[in-house]
Amino acid sequence: MSSHASLFALGPALYLAATGLLVLVLDSVGRTTRLPFALGSAVFGVAAVGAAAVAAFTGGTLLGLGVGAHAFAAMNAFLVAFLVYLVDPSGSNRLLVASVAVAGAVFSLGNAAYYLAYFGTTSDAQAALLFGDQLVVDQMSLLFMAIAASVTALVALASYDYLEGHAYQAEYYALVLLAATGMSLMAAANSLATVFVAMELASLPSFALVAFLKKNRGSVEAGLKYFLIGALSSSFFAYGISLVYATTGSLQLEAVASALSGGTEFVGMLGIGMLMLVGGFAYKTASVPFHFWAPEAYEGAPAPISAFISSASKAAGFVIAFRVFTVAFTPAGLFASLGIDWVLVFQILAVVTMTLGNFAAATQENVKRMLAYSSIGHAGYVLIGLASLGGVASQGDTVLGASMMHLFVYGFMNTGAFLFIALVEYWGVGRTFEDYAGLGRKAPVACAAMTVFLFSLAGLPVGAGFLSKYVLFFGAVSAGFWWLAAVGAINSALSLYYYTRVVKAMWVEEPNGELELQGRPTGLYAAVVAAAVVTVLLLPGFFPIAETAIEAANAVLPNAGDTTTAFFG
Amino acid sequence: MNPWIAVGALGVVSVVIPLSMMLVSSLLRPSVPEDSKRTTYESGEVPTGGTRIRFNIQYYMVALLFVVFDIETVLIFPWTVIYRSALEDGVGLVTVLAPMLIFIGVLVVGLAWAWHNGAVQWSRDPQASETQ
Repeated sequence: MSSHASLFALGPALYLAATGLLVLVLDSVGRTTRLPFALGSAVFGVAAVGAAAVAAFTGGTLLGLGVGAHAFAAMNAFLVAFLVYLVDPSGSNRLLVASVAVAGAVFSLGNAAYYLAYFGTTSDAQAALLFGDQLVVDQMSLLFMAIAASVTALVALASYDYLEGHAYQAEYYALVLLAATGMSLMAAANSLATVFVAMELASLPSFALVAFLKKNRGSVEAGLKYFLIGALSSSFFAYGISLVYATTGSLQLEAVASALSGGTEFVGMLGIGMLMLVGGFAYKTASVPFHFWAPEAYEGAPAPISAFISSASKAAGFVIAFRVFTVAFTPAGLFASLGIDWVLVFQILAVVTMTLGNFAAATQENVKRMLAYSSIGHAGYVLIGLASLGGVASQGDTVLGASMMHLFVYGFMNTGAFLFIALVEYWGVGRTFEDYAGLGRKAPVACAAMTVFLFSLAGLPVGAGFLSKYVLFFGAVSAGFWWLAAVGAINSALSLYYYTRVVKAMWVEEPNGELELQGRPTGLYAAVVAAAVVTVLLLPGFFPIAETAIEAANAVLPNAGDTTTAFFG
Repeated sequence: MNPWIAVGALGVVSVVIPLSMMLVSSLLRPSVPEDSKRTTYESGEVPTGGTRIRFNIQYYMVALLFVVFDIETVLIFPWTVIYRSALEDGVGLVTVLAPMLIFIGVLVVGLAWAWHNGAVQWSRDPQASETQ
């Protein structure tokens, strides 16, 4: 991959989109269309093989495409033919669509990891700019594409059991994959226009997914609330974009930065526009002041979707906030001198968000709602990354990178925790702390995994959540914001209280009545255990993630020094 | 002269004209109160049923499909305009054709799904298609 614009750079997003469409195609295959469709795909595949052969023997290209492209088309056509052949037109094809969805997400993750490895090993690797600089694929994009893809894979795997007996399963997977496509594109968006479109692409399927249990009042209510607040904040965001455009005459982020480099006479308009952009990001990341949809939506939504929205969607919201504020509204000092001190805004938001999230979580009786508020608290921790950028400039990459590390680890530990809730919902156990009493004896493996997630979320050294939080607070201190780190540490200590309540209920307390767990959901178990294993393995294997994140932060920050070696010795 | 005066004048005129028309007509017209003038439709049609009618969901499905393909045509038109000249200027056939084919392919997948789910098939059951 070079700076030469190639669509293949967007591979991780394209895999997700193609898999989403493939799931819809497989669901649309009927009794009369199955064989013609399979044969047609096979014939197209043979034709593509022929084209590849002709291109190979004539030593050139056919129809403007090389041998590799024709071979790739042939491979895909044969794959589609095979999958269509597997479809049972009268059945629900649950296993087929779920496997295709998981495979697509894993391919997307593999592709992102491959490109990340390329960036890690090639010293002069450059970011790929596509469509006239509207999209950029650099390390930060790839890291967040990897987060979106891994969360999608876990959620799709867990949904197989969770959706047992539900109608419209193919649509569910298609919506999950298309929302994940939007999140991957958010990671790559390099202009306010693409940021907005990608954000909508991620949001619209999410609304439908939250309301997926359409016979369940809570789910439908949550979907409606999520939709209404989403529509409101989208309109704020679009208005903010228009004000920034009016001030700078540009939507592309670097162009916005260069238009503002000499200051501007429309300070008020720019300030209001930026404040509205902050509102849009706050909605997407469930931070104050647009956080109040989160407990409702996470509680009402099917638990795998809560996992998806609270991990992948939050990470995607943060990546656009990181990119817009570090690339377009930079350097922070210039804006402070104009009177638009966005670092101060993020400092206030970070402190309020983490305090509000953690205090509200401590008062909850419902475990899913507690996790929802803890998710707001974690958004507050991650905001420290943006809130510490105004201090010691050379430390900016450590703290911004630490935010990315935290989101990466969070993608596993928080997804795992919500998937454990999905497991409990599958068993029909109640939702409060008391209902979890005695679960540890009935399902020791799953409860051990949940214990790892909760302690890792709290920041104890059983999972990588300890390291990411440590680097985050360390980075804030070395950037000169010791008080942000102090507030974060106090909140972490508080969070240990309510996380421990769940652990205590599971392992120590006696069950109230007969606790009978029906069924062995393999997919859910596999997803929960996989998330736990990754959370633990990231503890010894933290260095590559940390290095990638700090390099990614370095690439978007103008004045940061390379502190990777300084910190990790 | 300040150019905004013209804008203000336009605003004033656009308010004054309808108001004056209503005023003049109320001064000129004869007043003949009559029962049939109070009906909802002066054609004489007597409305039946409540105002909160639920339309069949299929109207919405068809409307949604229509919107999708309406937007598709909007994108295809400019593409057809530049298609031939792009080919004459030496842009490869695949470069010009493939993005549009992919775009239409995505829409076809959606149409196929909607078709498979019966969104295009109008309900034959008179009971189901009643607007209740």
